[in-house]
Amino acid sequence: MLFVLLGWRNLWRKPGRSAISIAAIASGLFFLILLLGISVGLKEQMLSNGTSLLQGHLQVHHRDYLPDRGLYDLIGGDQDALELEALIETLEAQPQFEAVAPRLYGFSLISTGEQSAGAQLLGIDPRLESRVTSFLEGMVAGKSLTPVAQGQVLLGATLAKELRASTGDEIAAVTQAADGSLGNELYQVAGILKTGLSHLDRVLAVIHYRDLQQLLVLRSWAVHELALRIERPELADSVADELNQSGLLPVDSLAQGWGELAPQLRDYVGLIDSFYGFLIGFISFFAALGVLNTMLMAVFERTQEFGMVGALGMTPLQILVTVLVETLVLVSLGIGLGLLISFLVMQPLSAHGIDLSRWTGGLTMLNTRIDPVIRFGWAGKHLVWSVIGMVAAALLASLIPARRIARMDPVVALRGVVEGSG
Amino acid sequence: MSRIRFLPLFLTTIFLTPVPPSAQNIDPKEIIDRVDRLLRGDSSQGRIEMTVVTKRWKRTVGMEIWSEGVDKALVRITSPKKEEGIATLKVGRDIWNYLSKIDRTIRVPSSMMGSSWMGSHFTNDDLVKESRLVTDYEIELSYAGLRDDVDVYEFRLVPHEDAAVVWGAMTYQVRKADLIPIWARYYDEDGELKRTMTFEDVRLMGGRKIPTLIKLVPADNPQEYTQMIYHDLKFDLELPKRIFSLSELRR
Repeated sequence: MLFVLLGWRNLWRKPGRSAISIAAIASGLFFLILLLGISVGLKEQMLSNGTSLLQGHLQVHHRDYLPDRGLYDLIGGDQDALELEALIETLEAQPQFEAVAPRLYGFSLISTGEQSAGAQLLGIDPRLESRVTSFLEGMVAGKSLTPVAQGQVLLGATLAKELRASTGDEIAAVTQAADGSLGNELYQVAGILKTGLSHLDRVLAVIHYRDLQQLLVLRSWAVHELALRIERPELADSVADELNQSGLLPVDSLAQGWGELAPQLRDYVGLIDSFYGFLIGFISFFAALGVLNTMLMAVFERTQEFGMVGALGMTPLQILVTVLVETLVLVSLGIGLGLLISFLVMQPLSAHGIDLSRWTGGLTMLNTRIDPVIRFGWAGKHLVWSVIGMVAAALLASLIPARRIARMDPVVALRGVVEGSG
Repeated sequence: MSRIRFLPLFLTTIFLTPVPPSAQNIDPKEIIDRVDRLLRGDSSQGRIEMTVVTKRWKRTVGMEIWSEGVDKALVRITSPKKEEGIATLKVGRDIWNYLSKIDRTIRVPSSMMGSSWMGSHFTNDDLVKESRLVTDYEIELSYAGLRDDVDVYEFRLVPHEDAAVVWGAMTYQVRKADLIPIWARYYDEDGELKRTMTFEDVRLMGGRKIPTLIKLVPADNPQEYTQMIYHDLKFDLELPKRIFSLSELRR
């Protein structure tokens, strides 16, 4: 405690210089937090759009379904019957799974008569789907409640435009069914979807999965995919592994986390994480240079003083500690100030975000929608690492003057001449 | 994607003049043109039974067909009951499908031309890409002599550079005696065999000697095939113009 008091007093012997040092550390930390904040915000947004828009955190398929998405590779495919409802209930009863949604896929020709286009049919259970993903919320026309009942279809915005179809129109879907026959049915357009992903808006046609089963002449348990939402998306891969080990899934099923399903998303998240380390190191280095300069000067000015206390019996270790504690006080003040400023500035930025739409409009990156409003996020453990990094760098830097003065012969120091390096 | 000249093979028949050309002095172009041209009468009408076999399913569809020249054809499914009334109309390069259950006519967009026609191994393109072999292909005699104790000609057809076909090459085997084709093989640009069509069961039908069973086998899936068995074919009838119209399609 004595050392801290000593350090505090010593700092204010040159208030201007110390204040500049503190300001440098504070602003360094502030910018670090701001930069981390924006990338955390971007990362979280990409992750949540990439997973909660359509994909889900986890997906279960027949082992052979990906990547070819064969019509016959159904979950529990070779069994005569799958208890689909029971399977969904069992999964939802597990604490780690928040929601489960079944899906069925098919390609078809859809047509309003003269206008026809190829479409990706997505069969969903609308009630369960909206608990896992959010793409149904991107409805630009049509009712928002019970978004797709049986006999109805939701069309991607670009596809609807191509077909010149609008809400209330009737469209025909034609496809080759699982038994080889020509499946065909009429659906009423219940809404137009704008998911924000251009490739989806061009091909997506959403119908009730029961309708799709009938169109494709598949049995009532037939689904290609289960999409799951879990409590902690960052643990998706290990949760998927556990699920595969658990024996809850039908034979030949495979659960995969979002990182495996969308490797480009995982790579991006990894890239951001490594960028954090670089950023922290970089800014800590410059903060340390500032501290080094300040402490070199502070020690140099007080060479005689240190010689005096040395002569009076202060051990070199005590002298070393004096200098280090003084540095610690300096850095702590800087960090405290930096955190205070950061908190004040980040509060509105994380609550409301900054709106980039003025410059960009909607963005799509790596097949993932980027919202033009970016909410800053607290970097969490990276914030802790930033503080530790800055303190460590500053202490390391101040070791140079501290060691030199501690090793100096008090008699030489008393003469006030600094010779060479320790 | 396969664009073979399929429609003439099954929609019309082979008319062969009783006089085979002199074997000493044959003109490959003339023979192929004769086979090709005579595969389509001026018009035809008849019944076909199409059987499609895949790894997953097998089904047989009864169809009634009408054709006129190269450009016009109408196919209507007569069985099974579930698909009765489904019909395809081809006029020039356009194809319409009529779906009886939902009572809708759909024009097949160009993006879907490469996909399967009625669940068979034929594609929509096979119906539309009508042109004469002699105008699209360079034809040469590659073999003449005995194959399995049958005297045959074999021809190799390579498309002209500007021809709108996807095949890299075709080969034809034709019986020397009556110029009835035995098989045709289709190759891609890399010279890899993509599918084989065989012509079997030669009979007299509608006053002509024709192969009444045509079988298409995809090379990458030799257990699968689509076969067409001809019944009651009639040739060179006076067909009313309205047959090849959208209103007739939905009848």
